[in-house]
Amino acid sequence: MSTELIFVQLVNGIQYGLLLFLIASGLTLVFGVMGILNLAHGSMYMVGAYLVWYFVSITGSFTLSALLSAVIALGLGILIERVLIQRLYNRNHLDQVLLTIGMIFVFNSLQSILWGNDPYGVAVPDTLGGSVPFTDNSSYPIYRIFAALICIAIAAALYFVVSKTRLGMLIRAGESNREMVEALGVNIKSLYTIVFAIGVMLAAVSGIIAAPMRSIVPGMGESVLITCFVVVVIGGMGSIKGAFVGALLVGVISTFAAVLMPSMSNMIIYIFMILVLLVKPQGLFAK
Amino acid sequence: MIFEKRTERIFLAIFFLIALCIPLFLEDNSFFVGKATTILILAVFVMSLDFLVGRVGLVTLGHALFYGLGGYLFVILTPEYEAVNFWVYAVYILAISALIALVVGVVVLRTSGIYFIMITLAISQMAYYFFFDSLEFGGNDGLFIFMKPETSIFGLNFLNLDNPTHFYYLSLLAVLVTLLAIKITLRSRFGRIVEASRLNPERTEALGYNIFAFRLISYIIGSTLAAYAGLLFALQYGYVNPQFMTWEMSGTALVMSILGGMGTIYGAILGTITYEGLQYSFEHLSEDWMLLMGGAIILMVLLLRKGLAGYLEKLLEK
Amino acid sequence: MSRIKTLAGAVLATTLTAGLSTTTVAAAGETVKVGLMLPFSGIYAQLGEAGRDGLKLALKEHAEQLHGTKIEYIELDTEAKPSRAPELASSLLNQHEADFVIGPVHSGVAMGMIKMLRGKDTIMIIPNAGSAAATGPLCSPNVFRTSFSSWQPSYPMGKVALEKGYKKVYAISWNYGMGRESLDAFAESFEAGGGEIVEKVLLPFPSTNFQSHVSDIADENPDAVFTFFAGGGAIKFVKDYDAMGLRGKIPLLGSGFLTEGTLQAQGEAAEGVMTGLHYAEQLDVPKNQAFREAFNTEYGHYPDIYAVQGYDAGQAIANTIGELNGDISDKKAVISTMEKLTIDSPRGEFTFSRAHNPIQNIYLREVKDGVNVVQSVAAAALEDPARGCKL
Repeated sequence: MSTELIFVQLVNGIQYGLLLFLIASGLTLVFGVMGILNLAHGSMYMVGAYLVWYFVSITGSFTLSALLSAVIALGLGILIERVLIQRLYNRNHLDQVLLTIGMIFVFNSLQSILWGNDPYGVAVPDTLGGSVPFTDNSSYPIYRIFAALICIAIAAALYFVVSKTRLGMLIRAGESNREMVEALGVNIKSLYTIVFAIGVMLAAVSGIIAAPMRSIVPGMGESVLITCFVVVVIGGMGSIKGAFVGALLVGVISTFAAVLMPSMSNMIIYIFMILVLLVKPQGLFAK
Repeated sequence: MIFEKRTERIFLAIFFLIALCIPLFLEDNSFFVGKATTILILAVFVMSLDFLVGRVGLVTLGHALFYGLGGYLFVILTPEYEAVNFWVYAVYILAISALIALVVGVVVLRTSGIYFIMITLAISQMAYYFFFDSLEFGGNDGLFIFMKPETSIFGLNFLNLDNPTHFYYLSLLAVLVTLLAIKITLRSRFGRIVEASRLNPERTEALGYNIFAFRLISYIIGSTLAAYAGLLFALQYGYVNPQFMTWEMSGTALVMSILGGMGTIYGAILGTITYEGLQYSFEHLSEDWMLLMGGAIILMVLLLRKGLAGYLEKLLEK
Repeated sequence: MSRIKTLAGAVLATTLTAGLSTTTVAAAGETVKVGLMLPFSGIYAQLGEAGRDGLKLALKEHAEQLHGTKIEYIELDTEAKPSRAPELASSLLNQHEADFVIGPVHSGVAMGMIKMLRGKDTIMIIPNAGSAAATGPLCSPNVFRTSFSSWQPSYPMGKVALEKGYKKVYAISWNYGMGRESLDAFAESFEAGGGEIVEKVLLPFPSTNFQSHVSDIADENPDAVFTFFAGGGAIKFVKDYDAMGLRGKIPLLGSGFLTEGTLQAQGEAAEGVMTGLHYAEQLDVPKNQAFREAFNTEYGHYPDIYAVQGYDAGQAIANTIGELNGDISDKKAVISTMEKLTIDSPRGEFTFSRAHNPIQNIYLREVKDGVNVVQSVAAAALEDPARGCKL
């Protein structure tokens, strides 16, 4: 491998890792604050991608469609939390797992009923089309650079909200001590609704951003779900910082593995995860 | 009495009575004999999972690893065109599965909670990719078992595995043996220590018990039972495929056991029958059966606090 | 809307019947039972639906050939899950006693079905799965295929690559049956003519993280790239190939599924991609135009290759029933009749080989303005070698 190719692959890996972070951030946030393992998180990613495809096909504007889809996802998150999740707070964790598995069935079915089973693609918005020269033979698409920047911006925003704002303070407090938050006169129910809805929206936004780079197909949610769990577990469940580091590690490792030993590349991230857990049974940034 | 609850005794009595009689009303080659056999085999698998998840406290999403292994080990160990003795090979396969469970268990049991879920999932996914990618084991197409084994014991041959009704009774026997094995284990001193370590690990440890060893042995028992179910499943239609060990397979089993009533063991049978029955009905009703299935699962979680078994108990226990 | 109604009906029916088995309406006269084992949910759902629609259209169009026999359909969703295949096949065989079983899409499911149906009286017609084994070592008198073998679309592309003057080719696909068999078939003719495969990459299925490989291709700078991907993977690969600036620099060749049913989603990224397949939507065959219009009238959209393959499965059934004057009780006669059929397919006429795989033309197509335009016949009346078949 030439140094140039190593550099190229590093860029590919970081870009992939940033997107993984965005998908995983919502999962880890919801788990960290509410202790809920949302297996339907991948379905929310799918919903985001399908929504943006649908609105682009109607309005033609990517920006407008992206905003619309994100708002709908937020609403969907509130609805799911209020109607379903809320009823299971003092139940066994496995009941929550079962509920979210039921949701996967429902969302997959709704996708098929509402949008059919054809594979779709979203065109890269015109203003972000084109590419910059990269190596002798290849160029790097502007949209992918833009997507990476958006992921970094959202990571920064999440960091800011969690560490500097009142909401963030409550989130951190809620993780460690529910009663204390209640004692502060904060309605923990509303806090949970907000956090869950943000988690759903983060998943959907990842789907929206990924839409022009990938294919929109049935089952796309489940395909990211497991990778997403691997990321979160490597980083330490509930830790946003952990998810960020975990995502970049998984992104870079799987990119290099894919080229250096393609036949092993699906196993590599699992092997890596097992090694991490053997050294640190609670992930890299365990609380 | 190893069946403490009234509900449990009533359910099991009715279940075994009906199960024993089912083939009397059906022809050997009837689809329903095959379907009922598959449900029984799945029930063995789900019971072994329920034991681990509900009683030992090991929530695994990699249980299908052993389900798939049971079948693959048979294909790997036996000559292609020669009928081997079922019992002899069942013992071999279970012994090897137990050994694999020992090695896997030593690794995975270092973690707990969500990390345990993920590490078991990772290991079963790796096994899945191994078989999916391997040419010698048929890759994604899987492999056929061309010869069903014969079942004679000391020259006595009363079961013919090519006969679906005989196979059905072999599977029913597996349900009975699994149920008794788990129940007797749980009633023993060993079982009580295992349960104690789920409910209060610190205290159990303080009493001088090595929790790790107890969990490891339980993991081996559960995994070996799953491998036996997998062996039967592979033999029923003579076919193995890497998909048998995917996390979706483990997930479905988990759904069945939670639906049935976690930790009740007999609930696993109930959950398996209900899930398979619902899926069969919905599929024949609508192309969008997944929506009905998902809706039914969500409704049951919301309405039943302790699964179907819990609901039955509320009706029958006083 | 109609699906929502069906749903409401289904919910109602559940509550009423508490879900027993399918209700069978007894038909006057002979009834032929056609069982479908196709994926109607999950990744392959679109392929399953297209195959079913094509099949039903053919049997509807050929109604006069059926000599008054009624067709009864039993549709089962395989979810593309091999673990359920034997059970569903057993349901069609033993419970519904189907005369014909159509399926599947997925080759792992095909194996489970063949295990159940091989050597039985029920005729199995595969409307998609290209697995070599089905008409190779596992071939059986009662198993037919109206689609292709994985070898067929790729083998002629080796010759095409040589004719275009490409000497060094980078081959990439998924590491599963169809992927491996496609790359091997390409290499067979390409290397025989003196070409060199500079790199052969098999990615884990169904990973679509292609970007790093596209970078690797740019670095390697081969004369051309040959690939097999389908569905979502095909869209992603073609888009990544374009996004990284390789389109127009290094020609992209493939097995035809790379640009089947995916062109709209691929958009401009697919322009110039050259593929081999037994069909093209704009194929200049009278039967094709008639079929496309009829399909559009019936379903409100134009058919794809998967619909064609289902349609031909329907034609095979209808023609067989027609030749036998409606009497299909003698299964040996059914098989020998079907073996001798010439199917008037939208892809051009084809016959069955000794292993029951179509002997058909493979067309070289190139994407121009979002359409697979036929350039030439890459191989005429190509027959799969059916290695290992003892029929």
